[in-house]
Amino acid sequence: MSTTTLKRNDVQQRSHGFGYKSVKMLLTQRIALLGLLIVVVLAVMMSLDAAGAMSGSYDADYLAAALISAVPLAMLGLAELMVILSGRGGIDLSVGAIVSLCCIVFGYSYGIWDLGLFPSIVITAVAGAVCGAINGFLVAYIGFPPLIATLATFYAFKSLALIISGQKPISTIQIQDFFSAAQSVEIPVIGYNLPNIPLGIFTFLIPTALLAWILLNRTTFGRRLYALGTNDVAARWAGVDTRANRMMAYVLSGLISGLVAIVIVAQFASARPDAGVSGNGLALPAITIAVLGGVAITGGIGRVSGILLATLLVVWLNAGILLAFAGNEGTQLQLLALGLLLIGASLLNNLTRKKFGVLY
Amino acid sequence: MSEQITTPRIAMRGISKNYGGVRAIRQAELTVYPGTVHALVGENGAGKSTLIKILAGAEQPNTGTIAFDGEAVSIASTTDAIELGVQTVYQEPQLFPELSITENIFIGREIKRGLRVDWAAQAAQIHELLDMIGLPHHLATAPVGDLSIAQQQQVSIAKAVAGEARILILDEPSAILTDTEINVLFSIVRRLTARGVAVIYITHRLDELFEIADTVTVMRDGQTLDTYDIKDLTVTKIAELMVGGIVTEKRPERSFDGLSPTLELHQLDVGHLLHGVDLQIRPGEILGLYGLLGSGVAEIAEAVYGMKQPTGGRMVYQGKAMVNKGPAEARRRGITLVPANRSAQGVFSFQSIRFNISIGDLAKLSPVKGWINRGRERDIALDLIKRLGVKTPNENQPISAMSGGNAQKVVIARQLLSTPKLLILAEPTQGVDVGAKEEIHRLIGDLAESGTAVLVVTTDLSEVLRISDRVLVVREGRIAAEFGHDATQVDILAAASGAVPIRKEA
Amino acid sequence: MRTTEKSRPQVTAGIPVAKKILPSLVTGQEVVLIGIIAVLWILLGLLTPAFLTAGSILPLLVAVAPIALIGVGMTLIIITAGIDVSVGAAIMVTSVVTSQTMVATGIPLIPAVLLSVAVGALLGLVNGYLVAYGKIHAIIITFGTANLFQFIGLRFFGSSTVNGLPDTFDVFGRGEAGRTFGIPHSFAITVIVVALAWWYLRHAASGRHLFAVGGNETAARLAGIKVKPLILRTYVITGALVGLAACFLIGQGTSTLEQSVGAGRELAVIAAVVIGGTSILGGRGTVLGTLLGAILVQTVTSGVTQMGWPSQLSDFFVGVAIIAAVGTDILRERSRRKS
Repeated sequence: MSTTTLKRNDVQQRSHGFGYKSVKMLLTQRIALLGLLIVVVLAVMMSLDAAGAMSGSYDADYLAAALISAVPLAMLGLAELMVILSGRGGIDLSVGAIVSLCCIVFGYSYGIWDLGLFPSIVITAVAGAVCGAINGFLVAYIGFPPLIATLATFYAFKSLALIISGQKPISTIQIQDFFSAAQSVEIPVIGYNLPNIPLGIFTFLIPTALLAWILLNRTTFGRRLYALGTNDVAARWAGVDTRANRMMAYVLSGLISGLVAIVIVAQFASARPDAGVSGNGLALPAITIAVLGGVAITGGIGRVSGILLATLLVVWLNAGILLAFAGNEGTQLQLLALGLLLIGASLLNNLTRKKFGVLY
Repeated sequence: MSEQITTPRIAMRGISKNYGGVRAIRQAELTVYPGTVHALVGENGAGKSTLIKILAGAEQPNTGTIAFDGEAVSIASTTDAIELGVQTVYQEPQLFPELSITENIFIGREIKRGLRVDWAAQAAQIHELLDMIGLPHHLATAPVGDLSIAQQQQVSIAKAVAGEARILILDEPSAILTDTEINVLFSIVRRLTARGVAVIYITHRLDELFEIADTVTVMRDGQTLDTYDIKDLTVTKIAELMVGGIVTEKRPERSFDGLSPTLELHQLDVGHLLHGVDLQIRPGEILGLYGLLGSGVAEIAEAVYGMKQPTGGRMVYQGKAMVNKGPAEARRRGITLVPANRSAQGVFSFQSIRFNISIGDLAKLSPVKGWINRGRERDIALDLIKRLGVKTPNENQPISAMSGGNAQKVVIARQLLSTPKLLILAEPTQGVDVGAKEEIHRLIGDLAESGTAVLVVTTDLSEVLRISDRVLVVREGRIAAEFGHDATQVDILAAASGAVPIRKEA
Repeated sequence: MRTTEKSRPQVTAGIPVAKKILPSLVTGQEVVLIGIIAVLWILLGLLTPAFLTAGSILPLLVAVAPIALIGVGMTLIIITAGIDVSVGAAIMVTSVVTSQTMVATGIPLIPAVLLSVAVGALLGLVNGYLVAYGKIHAIIITFGTANLFQFIGLRFFGSSTVNGLPDTFDVFGRGEAGRTFGIPHSFAITVIVVALAWWYLRHAASGRHLFAVGGNETAARLAGIKVKPLILRTYVITGALVGLAACFLIGQGTSTLEQSVGAGRELAVIAAVVIGGTSILGGRGTVLGTLLGAILVQTVTSGVTQMGWPSQLSDFFVGVAIIAAVGTDILRERSRRKS
């Protein structure tokens, strides 16, 4: 071992045909695979539409309107990206509960105390960050397994939201008017021949995604996060403060959840204390999006673009299913699609790692 | 030893093994008699572990024969070896921390009564085993995770013995043990040989051979030199056999008089690992620290770098008292370190070379704090890739795709983003090919020329002599000896293995 | 150098130390839990006299049964360093299949239970196969199958609830039919299953192997343990117990089966398991702890109601209980490893 065998890739000289290369690209570049799947979904749905198998028309307007559900989904996917990247079993089960709690915080500060929109947003975001900091402290400084820490805080935050609100949604006149923040708008200047896009895409999703991207790719914090997620021990030897940086990942996850709360209040024109935990909650779909987007559960691998594309895929697939299958059947098939996508994606991740060693 | 007339328990003849085009061992011979302790010594890379792996069935030889109790056998797998009664105790115990000693020993071959594990029958057997390895009976039900490292090793030995060991291979068992623990180990080994077990004992601590070994086989460069009766040997004699007649070319003698030291350690203690270590290193000087595994040599580096906190004494850096709360603080002071275990502590495997270099000093990547200037990052990475001669098509290749030598250069590059005032290298050329080793040594020399104080912690004897201006030998947590420019491999090996009493200071 | 005896409470009452051939019967975590539960019960008994009556304790035990029962399987899984977050969805599938069959054919008790257990085991087989042979982290796989099972469950439900359930499962219910000599059947069965699992984990070779797999999978394989079938088995057992628990839940409910029958139960089960001292990292855990964990959670829940506090507050205490239980465990392990 210690002797002179040069490993094969020192100078990569193997040549392969186009077929091999494109398969390799699809498997190792999650972005490429997701892009292809989106195109396939759009093509299949549109041809179904053309064949008259849809109950409504699967056109640009419909796709744009469907984006309303992409906003919370993608944002929470980004929150999971942060914590899963940090490695050591990083995961955040509490995002839905933080959303619920922050809905109430926003409901009070904007709807009841009438502090004004901007201060209310700041207060809500800070509240989310504080929730995240509790998770981060437990995980990074005490050494809780992330699954356990966030399971515990899931229960605690969920309960607090219901207790504080007295189990009643807040829907004062201010909150009801806030619904306008979730409406679709025409894009100025170039928008007249484009479909109207839900406002939340511009006010929340794009800024969050952009900031997340900058944070992960252009700041030293992002570097350190990838480093400690890739190899926690090596990061320590390289002088990275693994605890502070890991904690920060959870703070960011909480912060993003706080922002999602505002989006959800706008969507429902009401601050519901169970907004993030009713049904299956929001954590499960968010984790699904992250895994589908190519985030490795072992840490250190994952990109913002993967989250965004995975969200588009799921949202447009779901939207198509709703049109193709009436009523309950549609919502049920969405679950099937999500489950198959998740298992398929993780089996594929495994195959890729075995065959090509890496996955981006 | 009068039983030389008996049939050897194992006789390995003409064993060769190639990895790819490289010969790991050639024409090795090993004859071990029942009821004896047969020591196998040699420098790192001499071929000891390959020979042992072949005996344990983990590797297949290219040529050669193995006879067991006089009968020719082929050992095609570890299962074959275990069936013959070849048991190996590795340094890392393969135990289950939450299971009891009894269960660890019987795992996979429990004595059962129906579905149930027959605890009483196992207990009856275990008490005999515990007596033999010298552990009190009440520990039989203690979880192994509660035991000390030494006790865990005893459990591993008991596990091997319970598996009907006829040959017991002990791979550097004493490296992690204290003196009293070693005495316990020896008494276990003696009890085993009294029962007719043949013991193959691998060690770097030559002094202990005279207490425990009956015969010694020396390996060098993949060959077994000869087998000697321990009575005919001394530590110096063994050391001479191990290193052979090789003369390593030396760096020119250099003087550092008049320069004020970069780093001084005064009576430094780290828990029970280091005791009263004194050390001085000056700008431009290359100080070699040589010590066997478990000697405390690694802890000196870790204390200076802030990975371990000293429990006594003080460190003076550039004339001022220094306390490093962690590596980050050490790095801010201009102290960087290349860790010993490259894959576990050094590389961020699936990240790019650029990433692996720049993580060493992210603040350097931009004028704005917290921001990364990709252009500057690329320039810095490319500059270091060129300076260190890293062979790669571009700076975006993942480090996992590189050879050991190239990956090591990248880890070294990480420490050179700003020229360090003190560079510590732990095992700088382990798992690195000959060409890259040469280049890394030259690089270390160049850095020293430019005024960096270099501390090299290594278990590679020829390396420490070849690059150091001065060598300190560490043993049992103390500086055992200091050698100047005129040291020989034999001197150093003898000092590290215990031929010289430890230098005590007032 | 170190004293190992002091780091663990040795409960060896009645067994002469020299003859001791087994690890201690009760772990530290279990002693702590028994203490906490005792204190809570006494406190609640003092504060609300109604608490320590049969009318209060028996429903508590009935409510504990399904969670503790699935918890037994989950404990086995988590000991092997796995996890199953699909049990909530699996409850939905097994209960809807069973109750629709009962409504349609009126099958008697035993076949109905067997059907439910078989369906559950089948779902467990899917999980176990994917986890053991697909080499994907269990949490991802079971998140995926949770979606699939929900789909299947909802397909059976159609768009409504299952109505007009027969009283077949009343033997597992809260009412008089659910008790013999005052002891709820569902809780008694749970205790029997816990006892069996306790025996299996303590005395059966393959039970001991689960700890080995969770502690060091590679070493376990080298020791000749067949790891994959063993892991597969834990998921199948859990699935089967989900089937049985579904019968309990139907019996506890009304004559209508809601779609939300399993919602959130997976987290409740995992909470009971980790409060019981089972390490999520594998290699360590007890089913007795899980039973106690489930009882503690249910005590908190009914305590909150008895005190007249809003029932939603109980989840807060569950969260606190998880942090306290796991936190002390982490600190205890840390000092144990350090000494």
